[in-house]
Amino acid sequence: GDLGPFNPGLPVEVPVWLAINLKQRQKCRLIPPEWMDVEKLEEIRDQERKEDTFTPMPSPYYMELTKLLLNYASDNIPKADEIRTLVKETWDTRLAKLRLSADSFVRQQEAHAKLDNLTLMEINTTGTFLTQALDHMYKLRTNLQPSESTHSQDF
Amino acid sequence: SFMQGSKLEVPLWLAKGLHDSKRRIISVELPKIYKEAWRTVFSADANVVDLHKMGPYYYGFGSQLLNFDNPENPEIAQTILQASHRTNRFRRIMDSSQNAYNEDTSALVARLDELERALFQAGQKGLNDFQCWEKGQASQITASSLVQNYGKRKFTDVDG
Repeated sequence: GDLGPFNPGLPVEVPVWLAINLKQRQKCRLIPPEWMDVEKLEEIRDQERKEDTFTPMPSPYYMELTKLLLNYASDNIPKADEIRTLVKETWDTRLAKLRLSADSFVRQQEAHAKLDNLTLMEINTTGTFLTQALDHMYKLRTNLQPSESTHSQDF
Repeated sequence: SFMQGSKLEVPLWLAKGLHDSKRRIISVELPKIYKEAWRTVFSADANVVDLHKMGPYYYGFGSQLLNFDNPENPEIAQTILQASHRTNRFRRIMDSSQNAYNEDTSALVARLDELERALFQAGQKGLNDFQCWEKGQASQITASSLVQNYGKRKFTDVDG
């Protein structure tokens, strides 16, 4: 699409890839998103630790954005190290919750689970493992049916 | 030639081939791990019983055993299903494979059967891919492993 106009000293919204590119060429200063702020992230982290459910994150790409901005523009981000730590802590809590949820789901052999507010990054990290595990359990469950057709399950 | 009533050890594929529920040429004796006594150990929360030593294809082999019309089949099927999800095995595999603290997981893996080891590896891969992304390695272009083994051809060969 169209971007601009670019006037010196005036902030303008651009796609992330362009922002990073311009920053790398030292042609601009990046302004971090509103949520990339110590107080806000502490709030999110604490809520994540308190609740059993997943906190809605300020961006579905919070991990990706944090990594990109802290890698390429940490000089434009106040308290960058604290921010990095806070995001990592929140991530760790979310993943631990995901594993807890998965364990409980598996133990009770539930048929459905609904996990709101997960981001793709989190899903991808545990996804392969989970689908494989559930697939194996499904096969073991079909062993319970005495019909002829289910007898030879190949592993 | 065999005497009727003789007992032999044969590979699973052969036993399956000989098996016929109508003609009863053979009957199969359950390996110890699938028998009553072992099944109770599992039901009592076996945690991380060394399945590899018993197996190493505990789940796969157990499932195949169900082909032989054994009256204990429903119990066997239940036991292996429960071993997979009613014990702490799933949790331990998941937590160890997905946790980044570089702890020595070899002791746990040694006690897993082959199916569980594959699962462990799937968990590790998820973690490794994440860490690789985190380090910025995901954006480096590397040659696909499919292509790396192609021999390099000389110009003379090509032009002919």
